[in-house]
Amino acid sequence: MNKGWKGQLLRVDLTAGTCKIEALNEEWAKAYVGGRGLASKYLCEEISPDVDPMSPKNKLIMATGPLTGTYGAANGRYMVVTKSPLTGTIASSNSGGYFPSELKYAGFDMIIFEGKSKHPVYLQIRDGKAELVGAVHLWGKSTNETEDAILSEFHGDAKIACIGSAGEIGVHYACIVNDKHRAAGRSGVGMVMGSKNLKAVAVRGTGGVQVANPKAYRDAALEAYGMLKENPVTGQGLGALGTPVLVNVMNQSGGLPTRNAQTGTFEGAEEISGETLASTYLKRNKSCMGCIISCGRVTKIVDNKYAGDGEGPEYETLWAIGAACGISDLAAITKANYICNEAGMDTITFGATIGCAMELFEKGLVSEKEIGMSLNFGDSDAMVKLAEMTAKGEGFGKKIGLGSYRLAESYGAPELSMSVKKLEFPAYDARAVQGMGLEYATSNRGACHVRGYLISPEILGLPEKLDPQETEGKAGWLKIFQDFTAVVDSSGVCLFTTFGIGVPQFTKFCNAATGTDMSEEDLLVAGDRIYNRERMFNLKAGIDPSQDKLPKRMLEEPLPDGPHQGQVSKLPKMLPDYYKVRGWGKDGIPTEAKLQSLGLS
Amino acid sequence: MIKVQFFSLLRMLLKQERIELSAIEGETVAQLLARLQKQLPTPFLHKLLDDDGRMHAGTIILVNRHNIHHLQGLQTPLNDNDVVAMFPPGAGG
Repeated sequence: MNKGWKGQLLRVDLTAGTCKIEALNEEWAKAYVGGRGLASKYLCEEISPDVDPMSPKNKLIMATGPLTGTYGAANGRYMVVTKSPLTGTIASSNSGGYFPSELKYAGFDMIIFEGKSKHPVYLQIRDGKAELVGAVHLWGKSTNETEDAILSEFHGDAKIACIGSAGEIGVHYACIVNDKHRAAGRSGVGMVMGSKNLKAVAVRGTGGVQVANPKAYRDAALEAYGMLKENPVTGQGLGALGTPVLVNVMNQSGGLPTRNAQTGTFEGAEEISGETLASTYLKRNKSCMGCIISCGRVTKIVDNKYAGDGEGPEYETLWAIGAACGISDLAAITKANYICNEAGMDTITFGATIGCAMELFEKGLVSEKEIGMSLNFGDSDAMVKLAEMTAKGEGFGKKIGLGSYRLAESYGAPELSMSVKKLEFPAYDARAVQGMGLEYATSNRGACHVRGYLISPEILGLPEKLDPQETEGKAGWLKIFQDFTAVVDSSGVCLFTTFGIGVPQFTKFCNAATGTDMSEEDLLVAGDRIYNRERMFNLKAGIDPSQDKLPKRMLEEPLPDGPHQGQVSKLPKMLPDYYKVRGWGKDGIPTEAKLQSLGLS
Repeated sequence: MIKVQFFSLLRMLLKQERIELSAIEGETVAQLLARLQKQLPTPFLHKLLDDDGRMHAGTIILVNRHNIHHLQGLQTPLNDNDVVAMFPPGAGG
């Protein structure tokens, strides 16, 4: 097996209670880079796309990349890949911290979980040896409590990924939390883990990761470090203000979806901004393994009814639990963020679902009696209460735990769910940022921002400024962003590095680590292959191209305020361009020629 | 009056959120920046512009919430009661 890899995966049969070591498929690893791509290939080979996500037949794959655990940029990421119970699409959620690197140091590139345990268990891995052990004593514990309890069993020396109550009780957007504060957040991967009665994975590894060409790797790392340090975003901005810097950027730019996207600006933005967070509850920043960007937010609230401590909120959370709900109480948002982290819930879908429920309440479609309280936009106490109820599966919290689409549909108003393929869109209004709307419509896991982050050129001006209302050329930009993101996710590197380094640096890293001789074009073709592989899974799962759409509000209700007042999404104009640029038919289905060119037919 | 808002690292550097300046007929954004630098004690232009006076990739300057990239760039003319928002390069997501 090439260097960069450990060359083996761990297959865990939860039904039989066995752990088996297998060689990693070298050919697939080369074709699919690793992480997201390689795990998607394994998933497609091993499950039927029409499987019930909650069935024991669904599999859950934790996958690192060839660069995970190496030095260089921010090389501490892994992906969790499965079929999503929230969307029915392929799910692949990314997380950093220290757990991913530790998995490789323990000798494994990937873990495949299959079947279902009769009783709660957790997986222990110690330097190449793995066993399932009972976890009845951990069931019901929060992510923090679970990690502390397992750490005591490892004498404090392990890295842990686990689910909280949300994954146990079937919150559709339960996530898998590692290192207490990092999360494979979206698409409900934690719900799948809970369905298998798998509470946690604890890893201790003392090995390392060898690279094929140490000198070339060191040169690539030095170049990347220099570029990341020199870049004002990765070298200073993200460390000082973190992702919350975007609250004011997006609000000023008129693209901060407010009150369930009824408007594009929020009068309370300054109160929930990164600047305000930095001057109030922020204690320090924090980095993942080997990262010099250090965007993590360590926060603490004292002398307040929402007192607590933890990490976050990040930008998307400030928007979801804040602006999307009309809430400008930063302490309440931070408290709800802590509750979500400890229960293991995706803050984006949670906040967006509360915002949706608030509009249902505003329109009289759900009653105070049914909710158990009034639920007006801006009511921070009700929002925090519902976070607690959702985490426990109590009362109306059970409905919030279904996500906004199923919630709104149950009241006869699915159009009030701001989602695509049942995944809620994040903190950018598709009417204000046209390319981002195209990304929401075409992302393989539903309305996602981290599959093709066109906010970078359309709003931030990186690497160059594009007009957010222009539609011409956006399909081409999006394809490159989506393909490159697939490569980054698959390599085991943080996406934030791409504000400072690009395809040339990733090509050098991958070649030096694995001993391959890929060109920059080869790497992007691998990204294209990954994207089409995921697309084919979704098509076979019944998610047809008619689902490449946006909420009716984005298409038919003009933005009522801000610099993009009067605009709607021009998706119908961009989508045919996108299919063409992708090499797909006009029907949105990859052509046989396209699949053949990628080795997918 | 021209209202100028400072955000992100610019606010942290200047230790102020905003400032109001009298409007000067025909003044451009570039001229406003030069006037601001003379008035403020802390050097800040390097956060927004390079040595040749061009905007860094990622610098955001909005006039009445419209990005000057899509107006007339640094030569965008200003009028009385305009609001100018300034962000040094930043990102998140």
